[in-house]
Amino acid sequence: MLVSKNKATNSLLKSEKKSLLRFLTLYVAMVIFVITLLSVFYYQSQEKLMLSDQRAALSKYAYIQTKRLKVLHYFFDERTTYPRDPRFRSAIYDIEFKKIFSILGDESIRFDEEIYITDQHIHFVKTLDTYYLGTKYLIIEVEDDGIWRGEIWKHIIGYGLIAFFLFMLFGLFLARLFLRPMRDSLMLLDRFIKDTTHELNTPLSAILANIEMMDTEIMVEKNKKKLNRINIAAKTVSTLYKDLTYLTLEQEQENDDETIELHTLLRNRAEYFFILAESKQLKYELDLEDATMIVDKRKFTRVIDNLISNAIKYNKRGGVVGIKLRQGMLMIWDTGIGIDKEKIPFMFDRYMRFNQSEGGFGVGLSIVKKIVDEYNIKIEVESKEGEGTKVVLKW
Amino acid sequence: MVKKIVLCIALTIGVFSQDAYERNCVECHKDLPTTLQQMFKEYLQTYSGEENVKAVLKHYLRHPSKSISVMSELFIDSYGIKKKSRLNKEELNEAIDIYWEKFKVFDKLK
Repeated sequence: MLVSKNKATNSLLKSEKKSLLRFLTLYVAMVIFVITLLSVFYYQSQEKLMLSDQRAALSKYAYIQTKRLKVLHYFFDERTTYPRDPRFRSAIYDIEFKKIFSILGDESIRFDEEIYITDQHIHFVKTLDTYYLGTKYLIIEVEDDGIWRGEIWKHIIGYGLIAFFLFMLFGLFLARLFLRPMRDSLMLLDRFIKDTTHELNTPLSAILANIEMMDTEIMVEKNKKKLNRINIAAKTVSTLYKDLTYLTLEQEQENDDETIELHTLLRNRAEYFFILAESKQLKYELDLEDATMIVDKRKFTRVIDNLISNAIKYNKRGGVVGIKLRQGMLMIWDTGIGIDKEKIPFMFDRYMRFNQSEGGFGVGLSIVKKIVDEYNIKIEVESKEGEGTKVVLKW
Repeated sequence: MVKKIVLCIALTIGVFSQDAYERNCVECHKDLPTTLQQMFKEYLQTYSGEENVKAVLKHYLRHPSKSISVMSELFIDSYGIKKKSRLNKEELNEAIDIYWEKFKVFDKLK
Protein backbone atom coordinates (compact mmCIF):
# COMPACT_ATOMS: atom_id res chain seq x y z
CA MET A 1 0.00 0.00 0.00
CA LEU A 2 1.36 3.36 -0.99
CA VAL A 3 1.06 6.00 1.66
CA SER A 4 2.52 9.48 1.35
CA LYS A 5 4.83 10.47 4.18
CA ASN A 6 4.70 13.73 6.03
CA LYS A 7 7.02 15.47 8.44
CA ALA A 8 5.25 14.18 11.52
CA THR A 9 5.49 10.52 10.68
CA ASN A 10 9.02 10.78 9.41
CA SER A 11 10.32 11.37 12.91
CA LEU A 12 10.36 8.37 15.22
CA LEU A 13 7.90 8.11 18.09
CA LYS A 14 9.23 7.49 21.58
CA SER A 15 7.78 3.97 21.61
CA GLU A 16 9.28 3.35 18.18
CA LYS A 17 12.63 4.63 19.42
CA LYS A 18 12.39 2.40 22.47
CA SER A 19 11.58 -0.66 20.37
CA LEU A 20 14.37 0.21 17.98
CA LEU A 21 16.80 0.78 20.85
CA ARG A 22 15.86 -2.53 22.48
CA PHE A 23 16.22 -4.37 19.22
CA LEU A 24 19.55 -2.73 18.45
CA THR A 25 20.90 -3.34 21.97
CA LEU A 26 19.97 -7.01 21.74
CA TYR A 27 21.33 -7.20 18.22
CA VAL A 28 24.63 -5.48 19.11
CA ALA A 29 25.05 -7.76 22.14
CA MET A 30 24.41 -10.78 19.94
CA VAL A 31 26.80 -9.55 17.23
CA ILE A 32 29.52 -8.86 19.81
CA PHE A 33 28.96 -12.31 21.31
CA VAL A 34 29.17 -14.03 17.91
CA ILE A 35 32.27 -12.06 16.87
CA THR A 36 33.94 -12.76 20.22
CA LEU A 37 33.14 -16.46 19.89
CA LEU A 38 34.52 -16.58 16.36
CA SER A 39 37.61 -14.66 17.49
CA VAL A 40 38.22 -17.16 20.28
CA PHE A 41 37.92 -20.08 17.84
CA TYR A 42 40.19 -18.33 15.37
CA TYR A 43 42.77 -17.56 18.08
CA GLN A 44 42.73 -21.15 19.32
CA SER A 45 43.09 -22.61 15.83
CA GLN A 46 45.97 -20.25 15.00
CA GLU A 47 47.65 -21.09 18.31
CA LYS A 48 47.32 -24.81 17.53
CA LEU A 49 48.75 -24.21 14.08
CA MET A 50 51.74 -22.36 15.53
CA LEU A 51 52.31 -25.10 18.14
CA SER A 52 52.16 -27.84 15.52
CA ASP A 53 54.85 -25.95 13.59
CA GLN A 54 56.94 -25.77 16.75
CA ARG A 55 56.33 -29.40 17.69
CA ALA A 56 58.63 -30.74 14.94
CA ALA A 57 61.59 -28.61 16.05
CA LEU A 58 61.00 -29.28 19.74
CA SER A 59 60.73 -33.06 19.14
CA LYS A 60 64.10 -32.92 17.46
CA TYR A 61 65.60 -31.07 20.46
CA ALA A 62 64.01 -33.62 22.80
CA TYR A 63 65.57 -36.47 20.83
CA ILE A 64 69.02 -34.83 21.02
CA GLN A 65 68.67 -34.17 24.73
CA THR A 66 67.55 -37.76 25.37
CA LYS A 67 70.70 -39.06 23.71
CA ARG A 68 72.80 -36.73 25.84
CA LEU A 69 71.00 -37.90 28.97
CA LYS A 70 71.72 -41.49 27.99
CA VAL A 71 75.43 -40.74 27.79
CA LEU A 72 75.35 -38.87 31.06
CA HIS A 73 73.49 -41.75 32.68
CA TYR A 74 76.20 -44.26 31.81
CA PHE A 75 79.02 -41.98 32.87
CA PHE A 76 77.36 -40.73 36.02
CA ASP A 77 78.90 -39.87 38.51
CA GLU A 78 82.25 -39.29 36.86
CA ARG A 79 80.41 -36.70 34.79
CA THR A 80 77.90 -34.53 36.57
CA THR A 81 77.49 -31.61 34.17
CA TYR A 82 73.98 -31.41 32.83
CA PRO A 83 73.98 -31.15 28.99
CA ARG A 84 73.12 -27.65 27.75
CA ASP A 85 72.25 -26.37 24.29
CA PRO A 86 72.08 -22.72 23.14
CA ARG A 87 68.95 -23.45 21.08
CA PHE A 88 66.79 -24.50 24.01
CA ARG A 89 66.57 -24.96 27.76
CA SER A 90 65.47 -28.17 29.43
CA ALA A 91 64.50 -29.86 32.67
CA ILE A 92 64.19 -33.45 33.83
CA TYR A 93 61.55 -34.79 36.22
CA ASP A 94 61.10 -38.29 37.64
CA ILE A 95 57.97 -40.44 37.55
CA GLU A 96 56.79 -38.85 40.79
CA PHE A 97 57.04 -35.37 39.20
CA LYS A 98 60.05 -34.53 41.39
CA LYS A 99 62.51 -32.22 39.75
CA ILE A 100 65.85 -33.90 39.07
CA PHE A 101 67.42 -30.90 37.38
CA SER A 102 66.22 -27.81 35.58
CA ILE A 103 67.55 -24.82 33.69
CA LEU A 104 64.10 -23.66 32.58
CA GLY A 105 63.15 -19.98 32.53
CA ASP A 106 59.58 -20.76 33.52
CA GLU A 107 59.04 -23.58 36.00
CA SER A 108 55.27 -23.82 35.59
CA ILE A 109 54.99 -27.22 33.93
CA ARG A 110 51.83 -28.96 32.79
CA PHE A 111 52.68 -32.67 32.68
CA ASP A 112 49.32 -33.59 31.16
CA GLU A 113 49.92 -31.56 27.98
CA GLU A 114 52.43 -32.35 25.26
CA ILE A 115 52.99 -28.78 24.10
CA TYR A 116 51.73 -25.49 25.54
CA ILE A 117 52.51 -21.81 25.93
CA THR A 118 53.42 -20.21 29.24
CA ASP A 119 53.91 -16.47 29.74
CA GLN A 120 56.81 -16.01 27.35
CA HIS A 121 57.87 -19.60 26.64
CA ILE A 122 56.79 -22.66 24.75
CA HIS A 123 57.14 -25.96 26.61
CA PHE A 124 57.34 -29.40 25.06
CA VAL A 125 56.92 -32.34 27.43
CA LYS A 126 58.51 -35.59 26.24
CA THR A 127 57.78 -38.78 28.14
CA LEU A 128 60.78 -41.13 28.10
CA ASP A 129 60.46 -44.90 27.89
CA THR A 130 63.88 -45.52 29.39
CA TYR A 131 64.39 -43.45 32.50
CA TYR A 132 67.97 -42.21 32.13
CA LEU A 133 69.04 -40.74 35.47
CA GLY A 134 65.50 -41.53 36.57
CA THR A 135 64.03 -39.12 34.02
CA LYS A 136 60.44 -39.85 33.10
CA TYR A 137 59.61 -36.35 31.82
CA LEU A 138 61.95 -34.28 29.71
CA ILE A 139 60.82 -30.67 29.26
CA ILE A 140 62.18 -28.65 26.37
CA GLU A 141 61.70 -24.88 26.54
CA VAL A 142 62.11 -22.21 23.85
CA GLU A 143 61.33 -18.49 23.93
CA ASP A 144 57.97 -17.38 22.59
CA ASP A 145 58.62 -14.19 20.63
CA GLY A 146 54.87 -13.41 20.48
CA ILE A 147 54.98 -12.27 16.84
CA TRP A 148 52.36 -14.84 15.88
CA ARG A 149 50.11 -13.45 18.63
CA GLY A 150 50.43 -9.91 17.29
CA GLU A 151 49.49 -11.13 13.83
CA ILE A 152 46.45 -12.96 15.16
CA TRP A 153 45.28 -9.86 17.07
CA LYS A 154 45.70 -7.75 13.96
CA HIS A 155 43.52 -10.19 12.02
CA ILE A 156 40.94 -10.42 14.79
CA ILE A 157 40.64 -6.63 15.16
CA GLY A 158 40.64 -5.99 11.40
CA TYR A 159 38.22 -8.69 10.36
CA GLY A 160 36.21 -8.25 13.57
CA LEU A 161 35.58 -4.55 12.82
CA ILE A 162 34.64 -5.27 9.22
CA ALA A 163 32.27 -8.02 10.35
CA PHE A 164 30.83 -5.72 13.04
CA PHE A 165 30.07 -2.95 10.56
CA LEU A 166 28.55 -5.40 8.09
CA PHE A 167 26.41 -6.92 10.83
CA MET A 168 25.35 -3.42 11.93
CA LEU A 169 24.33 -2.45 8.40
CA PHE A 170 22.35 -5.65 8.17
CA GLY A 171 20.81 -4.88 11.59
CA LEU A 172 19.69 -1.41 10.50
CA PHE A 173 18.18 -2.90 7.37
CA LEU A 174 16.35 -5.47 9.53
CA ALA A 175 15.15 -2.77 11.95
CA ARG A 176 13.73 -0.71 9.10
CA LEU A 177 12.06 -3.82 7.73
CA PHE A 178 10.42 -4.56 11.09
CA LEU A 179 9.31 -0.98 11.66
CA ARG A 180 7.87 -0.47 8.19
CA PRO A 181 4.41 -2.06 8.83
CA MET A 182 4.01 0.06 11.97
CA ARG A 183 5.01 3.25 10.18
CA ASP A 184 2.75 2.47 7.23
CA SER A 185 -0.20 2.14 9.61
CA LEU A 186 0.63 5.50 11.20
CA MET A 187 0.91 7.17 7.82
CA LEU A 188 -2.38 5.66 6.73
CA LEU A 189 -4.05 7.05 9.85
CA ASP A 190 -2.49 10.46 9.19
CA ARG A 191 -3.77 10.49 5.67
CA PHE A 192 -7.24 9.47 6.81
CA ILE A 193 -7.34 12.22 9.43
CA LYS A 194 -6.13 14.79 6.94
CA ASP A 195 -8.84 13.87 4.50
CA THR A 196 -11.66 13.76 7.00
CA THR A 197 -10.79 17.04 8.76
CA HIS A 198 -11.44 18.92 5.52
CA GLU A 199 -14.94 17.56 5.47
CA LEU A 200 -15.60 18.51 9.12
CA ASN A 201 -14.90 22.21 8.87
CA THR A 202 -18.02 23.55 7.15
CA PRO A 203 -20.69 21.70 9.16
CA LEU A 204 -18.91 22.36 12.44
CA SER A 205 -18.60 26.09 11.80
CA ALA A 206 -22.26 26.22 10.87
CA ILE A 207 -23.32 24.47 14.09
CA LEU A 208 -21.19 26.68 16.36
CA ALA A 209 -22.19 29.93 14.60
CA ASN A 210 -25.87 29.08 14.82
CA ILE A 211 -25.64 28.15 18.52
CA GLU A 212 -24.04 31.55 19.20
CA MET A 213 -26.78 33.33 17.25
CA MET A 214 -29.66 31.61 18.99
CA ASP A 215 -31.65 33.76 21.37
CA THR A 216 -31.71 31.74 24.58
CA GLU A 217 -33.80 34.39 26.38
CA ILE A 218 -36.99 33.28 24.72
CA MET A 219 -36.25 29.56 25.01
CA VAL A 220 -37.98 27.30 27.45
CA GLU A 221 -35.71 25.64 30.03
CA LYS A 222 -36.01 22.20 28.42
CA ASN A 223 -34.76 23.50 25.07
CA LYS A 224 -31.97 25.52 26.77
CA LYS A 225 -30.62 22.26 28.25
CA LYS A 226 -30.75 20.57 24.86
CA LEU A 227 -28.97 23.50 23.27
CA ASN A 228 -26.29 23.30 25.97
CA ARG A 229 -25.70 19.65 25.17
CA ILE A 230 -25.41 20.49 21.48
CA ASN A 231 -22.96 23.25 22.42
CA ILE A 232 -20.82 20.87 24.51
CA ALA A 233 -20.76 18.26 21.77
CA ALA A 234 -19.93 20.83 19.12
CA LYS A 235 -17.11 22.31 21.22
CA THR A 236 -15.66 18.86 21.89
CA VAL A 237 -15.67 18.13 18.20
CA SER A 238 -14.29 21.63 17.54
CA THR A 239 -11.31 21.04 19.86
CA LEU A 240 -10.63 17.75 18.18
CA TYR A 241 -10.97 19.37 14.79
CA LYS A 242 -8.50 22.12 15.73
CA ASP A 243 -5.99 19.54 16.98
CA LEU A 244 -6.24 17.50 13.85
CA THR A 245 -6.03 20.55 11.62
CA TYR A 246 -3.01 21.73 13.56
CA LEU A 247 -1.39 18.34 13.28
CA THR A 248 -1.96 17.87 9.59
CA LEU A 249 -1.80 21.38 8.22
CA GLU A 250 -0.86 24.20 10.57
CA GLN A 251 2.22 22.87 12.32
CA GLU A 252 4.34 23.50 9.29
CA GLN A 253 3.27 27.13 9.06
CA GLU A 254 5.66 29.79 10.29
CA ASN A 255 5.23 31.08 13.85
CA ASP A 256 3.53 34.40 14.42
CA ASP A 257 5.07 35.17 17.83
CA GLU A 258 3.67 38.06 19.89
CA THR A 259 3.48 39.09 23.53
CA ILE A 260 0.33 37.59 24.93
CA GLU A 261 -1.31 38.10 28.29
CA LEU A 262 -1.55 34.57 29.60
CA HIS A 263 -4.02 35.32 32.38
CA THR A 264 -6.49 36.72 29.84
CA LEU A 265 -6.01 33.83 27.45
CA LEU A 266 -6.39 31.29 30.25
CA ARG A 267 -9.54 32.97 31.54
CA ASN A 268 -11.03 32.92 28.01
CA ARG A 269 -10.19 29.28 27.42
CA ALA A 270 -11.50 28.27 30.85
CA GLU A 271 -14.73 30.08 29.98
CA TYR A 272 -14.86 28.32 26.62
CA PHE A 273 -14.71 24.95 28.35
CA PHE A 274 -17.03 26.02 31.20
CA ILE A 275 -20.07 24.28 29.68
CA LEU A 276 -18.05 21.08 29.38
CA ALA A 277 -16.90 21.36 33.02
CA GLU A 278 -20.38 22.15 34.17
CA SER A 279 -21.76 19.05 32.46
CA LYS A 280 -19.55 16.95 34.78
CA GLN A 281 -20.31 19.22 37.74
CA LEU A 282 -16.70 20.25 38.00
CA LYS A 283 -15.49 23.36 39.81
CA TYR A 284 -12.78 25.67 38.53
CA GLU A 285 -10.08 26.86 40.90
CA LEU A 286 -8.37 29.72 39.14
CA ASP A 287 -5.31 31.32 40.74
CA LEU A 288 -4.08 33.57 37.97
CA GLU A 289 -1.50 36.28 38.43
CA ASP A 290 -0.63 38.62 35.58
CA ALA A 291 1.91 37.01 33.30
CA THR A 292 3.02 37.54 29.73
CA MET A 293 4.84 35.41 27.19
CA ILE A 294 6.15 35.82 23.66
CA VAL A 295 4.60 32.96 21.74
CA ASP A 296 2.39 32.12 18.76
CA LYS A 297 -1.05 32.61 20.27
CA ARG A 298 -2.63 30.01 18.00
CA LYS A 299 -0.13 27.38 19.14
CA PHE A 300 -0.23 28.20 22.83
CA THR A 301 -4.02 28.10 22.71
CA ARG A 302 -3.70 24.49 21.53
CA VAL A 303 -1.54 23.75 24.57
CA ILE A 304 -3.97 25.32 27.01
CA ASP A 305 -7.04 23.81 25.31
CA ASN A 306 -5.59 20.35 25.39
CA LEU A 307 -4.47 20.54 29.01
CA ILE A 308 -7.78 21.98 30.21
CA SER A 309 -9.89 19.58 28.12
CA ASN A 310 -7.87 16.62 29.44
CA ALA A 311 -8.29 17.87 33.01
CA ILE A 312 -12.05 17.95 32.40
CA LYS A 313 -12.26 14.76 30.36
CA TYR A 314 -10.39 12.56 32.83
CA ASN A 315 -11.88 14.13 35.97
CA LYS A 316 -14.33 12.56 38.37
CA ARG A 317 -17.86 13.92 38.51
CA GLY A 318 -17.95 16.77 41.03
CA GLY A 319 -14.16 17.16 40.94
CA VAL A 320 -11.96 20.21 40.61
CA VAL A 321 -9.99 21.64 37.70
CA GLY A 322 -7.27 24.01 38.88
CA ILE A 323 -5.27 26.55 36.94
CA LYS A 324 -2.40 28.37 38.63
CA LEU A 325 -0.43 31.01 36.77
CA ARG A 326 2.75 32.78 37.82
CA GLN A 327 5.33 34.54 35.71
CA GLY A 328 7.38 31.67 34.24
CA MET A 329 5.06 28.93 35.51
CA LEU A 330 1.67 27.51 34.57
CA MET A 331 0.08 24.61 36.40
CA ILE A 332 -3.10 22.84 35.35
CA TRP A 333 -4.31 20.15 37.71
CA ASP A 334 -7.27 17.94 38.24
CA THR A 335 -8.72 15.51 40.75
CA GLY A 336 -9.31 12.81 38.18
CA ILE A 337 -8.35 9.22 37.54
CA GLY A 338 -4.61 9.87 37.26
CA ILE A 339 -2.14 7.83 35.29
CA ASP A 340 0.25 4.99 36.11
CA LYS A 341 3.79 6.29 36.83
CA GLU A 342 5.34 3.90 34.30
CA LYS A 343 3.08 5.21 31.54
CA ILE A 344 3.97 8.89 32.03
CA PRO A 345 7.00 8.80 29.67
CA PHE A 346 4.74 7.52 26.89
CA MET A 347 1.76 9.82 27.41
CA PHE A 348 3.13 12.35 24.88
CA ASP A 349 3.35 9.75 22.13
CA ARG A 350 1.05 10.22 19.21
CA TYR A 351 -2.04 7.97 19.12
CA MET A 352 -1.21 6.84 22.64
CA ARG A 353 -4.34 6.47 24.75
CA PHE A 354 -4.43 4.90 28.15
CA ASN A 355 -8.14 5.24 28.80
CA GLN A 356 -10.41 3.74 26.18
CA SER A 357 -13.61 4.94 27.88
CA GLU A 358 -13.05 8.49 26.69
CA GLY A 359 -13.15 9.44 23.03
CA GLY A 360 -10.31 10.95 21.03
CA PHE A 361 -7.44 10.02 18.79
CA GLY A 362 -4.66 10.42 21.32
CA VAL A 363 -3.06 13.33 19.49
CA GLY A 364 -3.66 16.16 22.03
CA LEU A 365 -0.65 15.67 24.28
CA SER A 366 1.68 14.95 21.38
CA ILE A 367 0.73 18.41 20.04
CA VAL A 368 1.36 19.93 23.49
CA LYS A 369 4.80 18.31 23.62
CA LYS A 370 5.71 19.47 20.13
CA ILE A 371 4.78 23.07 20.91
CA VAL A 372 6.44 23.26 24.34
CA ASP A 373 9.59 21.69 22.91
CA GLU A 374 9.58 24.24 20.12
CA TYR A 375 9.49 27.12 22.65
CA ASN A 376 11.88 25.42 25.11
CA ILE A 377 9.18 25.21 27.72
CA LYS A 378 9.80 22.54 30.33
CA ILE A 379 6.88 20.24 30.98
CA GLU A 380 6.51 18.16 34.14
CA VAL A 381 3.79 15.65 34.93
CA GLU A 382 2.97 14.43 38.39
CA SER A 383 0.21 11.91 38.76
CA LYS A 384 -1.23 9.51 41.26
CA GLU A 385 -3.76 6.94 40.21
CA GLY A 386 -7.19 7.73 41.65
CA GLU A 387 -6.09 11.12 43.00
CA GLY A 388 -5.36 13.27 39.99
CA THR A 389 -2.78 14.70 37.64
CA LYS A 390 -0.73 17.87 37.75
CA VAL A 391 0.88 19.29 34.59
CA VAL A 392 3.39 22.08 35.12
CA LEU A 393 4.89 24.25 32.38
CA LYS A 394 8.03 26.25 33.19
CA TRP A 395 9.78 28.71 30.93
CA MET B 1 95.54 -61.65 77.24
CA VAL B 2 95.40 -57.89 77.17
CA LYS B 3 96.13 -58.01 73.42
CA LYS B 4 93.19 -60.34 72.89
CA ILE B 5 90.83 -58.06 74.80
CA VAL B 6 91.98 -55.00 72.84
CA LEU B 7 91.52 -56.86 69.53
CA CYS B 8 88.09 -58.03 70.57
CA ILE B 9 87.02 -54.47 71.54
CA ALA B 10 88.47 -53.05 68.29
CA LEU B 11 86.52 -55.59 66.19
CA THR B 12 83.33 -54.96 68.13
CA ILE B 13 83.69 -51.15 67.68
CA GLY B 14 84.49 -51.66 63.97
CA VAL B 15 81.40 -53.76 63.36
CA PHE B 16 79.02 -51.45 65.28
CA SER B 17 80.43 -48.29 63.71
CA GLN B 18 79.26 -49.54 60.28
CA ASP B 19 75.72 -48.65 59.16
CA ALA B 20 73.04 -51.11 57.97
CA TYR B 21 74.00 -50.63 54.30
CA GLU B 22 77.69 -51.26 54.85
CA ARG B 23 77.05 -54.16 57.16
CA ASN B 24 74.51 -55.94 55.03
CA CYS B 25 75.16 -54.89 51.41
CA VAL B 26 78.72 -53.81 50.75
CA GLU B 27 80.25 -56.93 52.19
CA CYS B 28 78.57 -59.29 49.74
CA HIS B 29 78.68 -57.02 46.70
CA LYS B 30 82.37 -56.19 46.88
CA ASP B 31 83.24 -59.46 45.15
CA LEU B 32 80.87 -58.89 42.23
CA PRO B 33 82.09 -57.30 38.96
CA THR B 34 79.17 -54.82 38.92
CA THR B 35 79.31 -52.09 41.52
CA LEU B 36 76.38 -51.13 43.71
CA GLN B 37 76.28 -47.82 41.90
CA GLN B 38 75.88 -49.54 38.53
CA MET B 39 73.05 -51.58 39.97
CA PHE B 40 71.47 -48.42 41.37
CA LYS B 41 71.55 -46.85 37.90
CA GLU B 42 69.86 -49.97 36.50
CA TYR B 43 67.08 -49.55 39.05
CA LEU B 44 66.83 -45.84 38.32
CA GLN B 45 66.67 -46.43 34.59
CA THR B 46 63.90 -48.97 35.04
CA TYR B 47 61.84 -47.50 37.86
CA SER B 48 62.63 -43.73 37.86
CA GLY B 49 61.29 -42.29 41.13
CA GLU B 50 62.43 -42.69 44.74
CA GLU B 51 59.31 -44.43 45.99
CA ASN B 52 59.27 -46.80 43.03
CA VAL B 53 62.93 -47.70 43.35
CA LYS B 54 62.74 -48.25 47.09
CA ALA B 55 59.59 -50.34 46.79
CA VAL B 56 60.97 -52.66 44.10
CA LEU B 57 64.31 -52.98 45.93
CA LYS B 58 62.54 -54.02 49.10
CA HIS B 59 60.40 -56.48 47.21
CA TYR B 60 63.36 -57.95 45.35
CA LEU B 61 65.47 -58.36 48.49
CA ARG B 62 62.64 -60.25 50.15
CA HIS B 63 61.58 -62.22 47.12
CA PRO B 64 64.57 -62.44 44.75
CA SER B 65 63.64 -63.78 41.33
CA LYS B 66 65.22 -63.88 37.91
CA SER B 67 62.05 -62.55 36.32
CA ILE B 68 62.08 -59.28 38.26
CA SER B 69 65.82 -58.69 38.39
CA VAL B 70 67.13 -55.56 36.69
CA MET B 71 70.43 -57.27 35.90
CA SER B 72 71.26 -58.85 32.54
CA GLU B 73 70.75 -62.52 31.72
CA LEU B 74 74.50 -62.97 31.41
CA PHE B 75 75.10 -61.58 34.88
CA ILE B 76 72.42 -63.75 36.44
CA ASP B 77 73.65 -66.84 34.64
CA SER B 78 77.18 -66.14 35.89
CA TYR B 79 76.49 -65.08 39.45
CA GLY B 80 72.99 -66.32 40.10
CA ILE B 81 70.21 -64.78 42.14
CA LYS B 82 70.93 -63.53 45.64
CA LYS B 83 69.57 -65.26 48.67
CA LYS B 84 66.45 -64.07 50.39
CA SER B 85 67.23 -61.26 52.83
CA ARG B 86 66.72 -62.06 56.48
CA LEU B 87 66.95 -58.50 57.67
CA ASN B 88 64.14 -57.19 59.77
CA LYS B 89 61.85 -54.49 58.41
CA GLU B 90 63.61 -51.56 60.10
CA GLU B 91 67.10 -52.64 59.11
CA LEU B 92 66.05 -53.33 55.52
CA ASN B 93 64.40 -49.90 55.25
CA GLU B 94 67.45 -48.23 56.73
CA ALA B 95 69.82 -50.01 54.31
CA ILE B 96 67.67 -49.06 51.31
CA ASP B 97 67.38 -45.44 52.47
CA ILE B 98 71.15 -45.19 52.82
CA TYR B 99 71.61 -46.82 49.44
CA TRP B 100 69.23 -44.24 47.84
CA GLU B 101 70.89 -41.29 49.55
CA LYS B 102 74.34 -42.48 48.54
CA PHE B 103 73.69 -42.83 44.81
CA LYS B 104 70.68 -40.61 44.07
CA VAL B 105 71.04 -38.12 41.22
CA PHE B 106 69.28 -35.24 42.96
CA ASP B 107 71.55 -32.32 43.85
CA LYS B 108 74.51 -33.96 42.12
CA LEU B 109 74.03 -32.49 38.65
CA LYS B 110 75.34 -29.06 37.93
